Amino acid sequence: MRIKVSDAFYGWIRPDNIVFTSVFPFLVYCVVGGLPFPAPTAPRFLSDLQGHSEQGRWSFMILRFVGSASKYNQESLQCQRESHSSADFSSANANGSSEITEPVSPHGDSTCSLSIQSTPDIEKKYVHRVYDAIAPHFSSTRFAKWPKVASFLNSLRQGSVILDAGCGNGKYLGFNPDCFYIGCDISPSLIEICASRCHDVMVADAVNLPYRDNFGDAAISIAVLHHLSTEMRRRKAIEELVRVVQKGGLVLITVWAVEQEDKSLLTKWTPLFHKYDEEWVKPSSPVRNNPVNKLESIPELDESCRQDTKLTTQTCNELLDDKLESMDRIMVDASISSATTGSLLYPSSGQTETQQEYFVPWHLPYHRAEINGASASAVETGLAKKDDKKGAMVYNRYYHVFVEGELQRLVSGIDNASIVDQFYDKSNWCIILQKS
Amino acid sequence: MRLLTHNMLSCNIKGVANGFPLRLEAEKWVEKEVELNADFLRHIFPKIEWKALAGAARAVGYCELPEEADAAMLDSEDFLRRFHHALLEIHVEEGALFCPETGRRFSITKGIPNMLLREDEV
Repeated sequence: MRIKVSDAFYGWIRPDNIVFTSVFPFLVYCVVGGLPFPAPTAPRFLSDLQGHSEQGRWSFMILRFVGSASKYNQESLQCQRESHSSADFSSANANGSSEITEPVSPHGDSTCSLSIQSTPDIEKKYVHRVYDAIAPHFSSTRFAKWPKVASFLNSLRQGSVILDAGCGNGKYLGFNPDCFYIGCDISPSLIEICASRCHDVMVADAVNLPYRDNFGDAAISIAVLHHLSTEMRRRKAIEELVRVVQKGGLVLITVWAVEQEDKSLLTKWTPLFHKYDEEWVKPSSPVRNNPVNKLESIPELDESCRQDTKLTTQTCNELLDDKLESMDRIMVDASISSATTGSLLYPSSGQTETQQEYFVPWHLPYHRAEINGASASAVETGLAKKDDKKGAMVYNRYYHVFVEGELQRLVSGIDNASIVDQFYDKSNWCIILQKS
Repeated sequence: MRLLTHNMLSCNIKGVANGFPLRLEAEKWVEKEVELNADFLRHIFPKIEWKALAGAARAVGYCELPEEADAAMLDSEDFLRRFHHALLEIHVEEGALFCPETGRRFSITKGIPNMLLREDEV
């Protein structure tokens, strides 16, 4: 029997496994009782489990990270597990493309009315809190304006009201001086940076914009939707963008793509969905020893950084992250499957699964870590790890990277939006919608 | 927060039928002069809910706006100047916004409204 459990990490529980039968009840107790996990951070727990190579065949299970015991009763925990698992699982269909499967719930058919606007814990921890902690450093690396975004903004008529949902450090606010920009972001730290530059901004949630209908001339969502962890939330965010612009208004959305231009930086990321199956993984497989699957130390940075010892961690981070932002990612399996005959993580039937869920690290140099800010307690709470070799704290950001056609599929259910342009630009999938 | 932004804000709590306009209580505001752009004002006028703008302007002590307005007034330089001033030159630094239906308070701190909802409100 396989039970799918959602949230921070995905895995399958094998009840015939000794570790499962001994560890699982304890972990369930931790979750239900609201106790912290026995491991300092979820990713470390992941790597610790994967370090048990003898049990390497069984799938590890990571339970939901429960932020506060008092917040949830068992019913609501169960409810959340179901609602968040319903859209969190992709499995290959016969055509090899991802689609959403129904949740396999051990709790039967309990009805759940949990709102899609309620933020899942993986986003609270690995998007909201991380960006709050890294905001000033992150902002200092966000300055380059993407030409495609720039040309979109410049194409808008003079005097347009442009709504930037998920504006980050406000990079695009005020870009076109003829237009009036209003930005919002979920991170108060990033918004404070925007406000200090005299922009009109507020703290708000892109999944539930506090705007009345039909106000904007245009809206933009630049590298935002890939931080939403369920399909329903991603679709809702697009519906919100369409709702808040006037009839005929334009919406530009860009997201990180699975399909990469340059395959060199994958090993810096942690894939969040692992399947191990006895038929697929042989004892001699290099999977267990593959550093891709471990998060005990961040691998060496880009070649360019390694060779040039004068480069600081900060510069490396900028180079790395700018490259990442220009979309260099490969499917995690590519490096693994090349080492063995046949496919390790794919069923022998030839179906392929595209890895879309990742943790992408952010290195916050010690000298940039704010003393009184969120990063001060990050190590204690397990939000970040220290890497003394690099003199930086390492945070993980959650990403759901998009496959080709995924944006279009999300939009297809929205009646009053039509696609006026769609393109791939520097490893991002981009789409322009018009409200009808 | 400028009053142009205020004119767009709406309470998005689940179940609220009409969360607009939010009532403004301003404790601290500043005025910053900015160049008047008549084309922009004419473009944005149709989007503006006038009563909400007038009400918010009164909340910061600016009572020069007429109670009602129509597009014909945009020909008047005097009207444009008042419209421009209320819309773009007043910045609320500290205060709060209140949902007209639920009374829910959204704070404004350092010019930034916090429009995030709690778990039980979504």
